[in-house]
Amino acid sequence: MPRGLTRFFTNLGWTVYVAAIVTWLLFPLALILLSSFQGTISITTDVTNLNLSAYEKIPDRYWNSLWFTIQISVVATVAALLVSVPAAWAMVRGKLAERRFLSNVVLLPDVVPHIILGIALLTLYMQVGLAKTWLGMLLAMLSLSLAMGLRFTEALLEGLPEEYELAAETMGANKLQALWLILMPLMAPGLATAALFIFISNMVTFELLFFISGPNASPIAVRLFSDIIDRGIMPHSVAMASIMIYISIAFYAIVALTLGPKYLAGSNVSRKG
Amino acid sequence: MSPEQARPVRLAHLHKRFGSFVALENLSLDIKAGEFLTFLGPSGCGKTTTLKIVAGLLTQESGEIYFGDRRIDTLPPSRRNIGLVFQNYALFPHMTVRENIAFGLRMRKWPAAKQAERVEQMLALVRLQGMGHRKPEQLSGGQQQRVAVARALAFSPDLVLLDEPLSNLDAKLREEVRLDLRNIQRQSRQTTVFVTHDQIEALVMSDRIVLMNGGRIEQIGSPKDLYDEPATEFAARFVGANNLVPARLDLGNGQAGARTDSDVRVSLDTVVPGLANGVDIWMCVRPENIHIAADSAAADGSAATVRDMVFQGTTVLVDLESDGLGSLRAELPARRLAGIAPGQRVGLTFAAAHAVPRH
Repeated sequence: MPRGLTRFFTNLGWTVYVAAIVTWLLFPLALILLSSFQGTISITTDVTNLNLSAYEKIPDRYWNSLWFTIQISVVATVAALLVSVPAAWAMVRGKLAERRFLSNVVLLPDVVPHIILGIALLTLYMQVGLAKTWLGMLLAMLSLSLAMGLRFTEALLEGLPEEYELAAETMGANKLQALWLILMPLMAPGLATAALFIFISNMVTFELLFFISGPNASPIAVRLFSDIIDRGIMPHSVAMASIMIYISIAFYAIVALTLGPKYLAGSNVSRKG
Repeated sequence: MSPEQARPVRLAHLHKRFGSFVALENLSLDIKAGEFLTFLGPSGCGKTTTLKIVAGLLTQESGEIYFGDRRIDTLPPSRRNIGLVFQNYALFPHMTVRENIAFGLRMRKWPAAKQAERVEQMLALVRLQGMGHRKPEQLSGGQQQRVAVARALAFSPDLVLLDEPLSNLDAKLREEVRLDLRNIQRQSRQTTVFVTHDQIEALVMSDRIVLMNGGRIEQIGSPKDLYDEPATEFAARFVGANNLVPARLDLGNGQAGARTDSDVRVSLDTVVPGLANGVDIWMCVRPENIHIAADSAAADGSAATVRDMVFQGTTVLVDLESDGLGSLRAELPARRLAGIAPGQRVGLTFAAAHAVPRH
């Protein structure tokens, strides 16, 4: 076979191979998105009668759950970063002797299967009356956010030479000024990315919150799960699932636009252990 | 900035240990106001440790630091009024050149108009006019270095510390920048302490050099003092190229001389003070002070055989095997090379021989 032809078939082979992987990954998502516009329970590939009826039929309790999820996700993200920055600073700059041990221990909540954490939390929350409450859900979510937040901020600080702060201090800045005028602006882009990743991970937390959620404190993932168990797959469930997909796509678009697509490839630091 | 305010700096009995390693041993030193002083020494000699202790980034075990009559080693770094230029400059990447230079003024709550005026002065001093709006990443290494210097000088510190600020520059730029730095210091008459392991930098830039070794001061003096009359074997070997020949001091017949084991006597031009007749010494002769005559009989020093010659442009290195003084290296201007070739017998004259004690 001529060399040009060999190359053509090699390229074709690789293209098919990659296309197959992408299809396998995206097919279920595409199917859900498509069926959310069909307004029926049965999932088909019929594209002749697309409409928004499923979205219109999304019940209030879904919207409440979504709003609830966004609220605790935002609060947990902000709180986690507020706690993480000083903690990471003490760990990295203070050169704590127990540093390695400490930075691994705080990751535990993120590497233990979340369902097990959920059971543990349920046992604890039953005793102290936090089960099925807003605060209880927030605290549970915060444990995961903190683990991620610390990992992010620790890495961020390690990447910033201490000389910046020392230079500020020799020029007359106190510790607080060095932190506020030098360290924070330098960390800001990294912190923004961290916030996005923690937020989106909070939005989809399910196993951890499953046992401790109740009718008035039910994140959207748990709400969808219970509804589908009780009533089967309804068109409005599919529509709400699609909305979650839109949020995720929006999140990745924001990260890709602000930091460049390269960052997404390296973003596995945010993946669950 | 203004010399009339400048205060001398005094380090008194500084002592510092890292575990069992003694980094500084009872170091005392007076730095004159307006002087450019260099700490020179190999890595681990304690020069950077001293700088960090003065800046307040390390704490000494004992000892004191004074600016004039005021003790400053009990103050945090932010209140010592010291300008520090880091090895990697540590310019704030999120601030412009102007904001970087103004940072110390901002911390001292200068009015905005005075800050702007001072920043322009500083930019002129380091020849970066019109670059004030740039970010550090838009500057070359040499320019960043000058911004770091301007930033450290801007707030009229009592003392400016430079921590090997030339080590990140390539060789050619380094030569330029060290003259730059020297001129900036001469203009500003800012008391400056410079830390380096590069003896050429030290010789070119300093009013005085503090040669350090093993946490102690080996010798303090002007560049010329250190070069021409090193006080110890370490100083003789560390600063500049040198030939060291073991000998004994011979103070007979009024003229000091070095007598080797093979009973060759060489007249000494200078001797470290206080050495007694007959003690063990190193006779030190700089390569450029060995003069070579093609006719071995004409020389008044000693005869030798040329082993090898290395051409380096302006000068030629000549490796010699001398009669009675061992191997020597001479360096002579390339144009004075005529008639000398490897294998040849030559006569040597020592233009300036010096003696340091040998232990």
